[in-house]
Amino acid sequence: MVSLPHWLARPLFYLGLGVYAFLLVLPLLNLFAASFKSDGELFAPGLWPTHPTLEPYQEALQKYPLARYLLNSLVVAVGTTLGVLLVSATLGYALARIPFAGQSALFGFVVAMLLIPGEVTFLPLYLLVQQLGWLNSYTALIVPFIASPLGIFLLRQFIKSLPQDLFDAARIDGAGHLRMLWHIALPLAAPALGALAALTFLGAWNMYLWPLVTINRSEMMTAQIAVAQVQNVEVTSWNVVAATAILVLLPTLIAFLLAQRFFIRGIALGGLKG
Amino acid sequence: MSVERRETPWTEAKPQTRFKAGEGLEAALLVVPGVALMLLFIVWPTLNAFWLSFHRENLLGTSREWVGLTNYAEMLKDPAFWRSVGATFVFAAVVAPVQLVLGLVAALMVARPFPGVGLFRTLFFLTTAVPTAVAAVAWGWFLHPVGGTLNRALEAIGLSRQPWLTSPELALPALAVLTAWAGVGFTAILLTAGLQQIPEELYEAARIDGAGSWTQFWRITLPLLSPTLFLVALLILLSSLTAFGQIHLLTRGGPMESTTVWIYRVYQDAFFNFRFYYASAQAVALFLVLLLLAALQFRFFGRKVHYG
Repeated sequence: MVSLPHWLARPLFYLGLGVYAFLLVLPLLNLFAASFKSDGELFAPGLWPTHPTLEPYQEALQKYPLARYLLNSLVVAVGTTLGVLLVSATLGYALARIPFAGQSALFGFVVAMLLIPGEVTFLPLYLLVQQLGWLNSYTALIVPFIASPLGIFLLRQFIKSLPQDLFDAARIDGAGHLRMLWHIALPLAAPALGALAALTFLGAWNMYLWPLVTINRSEMMTAQIAVAQVQNVEVTSWNVVAATAILVLLPTLIAFLLAQRFFIRGIALGGLKG
Repeated sequence: MSVERRETPWTEAKPQTRFKAGEGLEAALLVVPGVALMLLFIVWPTLNAFWLSFHRENLLGTSREWVGLTNYAEMLKDPAFWRSVGATFVFAAVVAPVQLVLGLVAALMVARPFPGVGLFRTLFFLTTAVPTAVAAVAWGWFLHPVGGTLNRALEAIGLSRQPWLTSPELALPALAVLTAWAGVGFTAILLTAGLQQIPEELYEAARIDGAGSWTQFWRITLPLLSPTLFLVALLILLSSLTAFGQIHLLTRGGPMESTTVWIYRVYQDAFFNFRFYYASAQAVALFLVLLLLAALQFRFFGRKVHYG
């Protein structure tokens, strides 16, 4: 490749970056712009609305209980995240710090569970949740997912890497495992917990197939399914659909912008597993 | 004084120490709930998936009866099943390279720091925060036959509008591209992490030897990134084989079943065609394919645990 003159290389690099970033974000910008277009302007050419209006948002919020759907998703995402953190921290701690018979076998079991593709066991899981009488409840959307092999694995690895001296000192002071978990392991594991929380929240917020089959009462519907519902009804009112989608996007978008490094760490950890 | 301590590898058993009074109870409290949840919600459904697939609804639909391998035999002769398998692999075969290339380009641009890198990282990683349903709606509008920006752009450069999501030929690739787009953030994050592990000295040495950026890319970046690339490709493959939300939202498996992928057929047979047990057999088959890929991934991540 011919090397460019130095004064030209930098502006060209930024130009390339800008164009690429614009193209990647274009479908979202397009959606954002549509959500501010009036019915009359929706199909007119031009990316941006000439007379931006909040009508699509008003219509979406009036016709559909979006606040309720968003609340449902929030309850599910926060509940799942707290549950995953609790189970991962306790079991992860036990696997890293409490010597007991069968510990390495149990760890092997957790690692084997990592391999199980959960998406495909949704039929037997559906029967189970139905027998437990959990259909159409938050329980169905939260409880089956709080024992996360990935979370247990990550926390076990992290707690294992903490210096043994800290635990020895606490032990001399007479601390039991619960206190060592709460006062030593958890504060030090904060980065791992944050990353796991971000990853879990995102996953729970994005769930689609599972709430689709376990929830059919309207007031229990999650935001993702609500988007599908609105899109199905408002066949021609894409501005209303867009407004709904933007409202469903905002919570994860804001969470991502505020805690970007936790999300990035969570994905790097989750994808590369350590 | 602290005692010299060596980290034991995870496969080696730890030296057993004596339990204190009450410690057994504490340990049980920490271990039992998590293990019970895993047994109930992961192990039991997995075993039951196989068990269910050997059954069938009786004629009245009131109970089930054992039919052995009948569901599997039927599945292997069912053209609808094979069409869904074909669609799944075509879908994955488009998603994987598109997502990998889009993500790699983004990662190459932002792996090394420069003024303003934070902004571009945020923009390139942004799709991570976009839920599947939102991504689907965004593309549904982007590809809209009348108001869609893509068709307007095509028209502006003298090409004709395309019925992206309503044509049996175009719908599946269009969904695959939207899926790849939604995964760009994920891919870019993992590849950026991989790129940052390549020592800067290698590039300095190459520059001193007079290697241009093209040579550096082919001789340093690509070979050293290849394990990460392989792993990410597997992850993309795994997730694209179970893509569901965007298909349900935009095409409902149509037009003419062209986007009825494997998992979509399982969903339809189980919940609309009242063939729950036949659907279970198809789900088990998909499960086995995914397990095979996960085992491949496991080999890599196992190595990472040891030396990483």
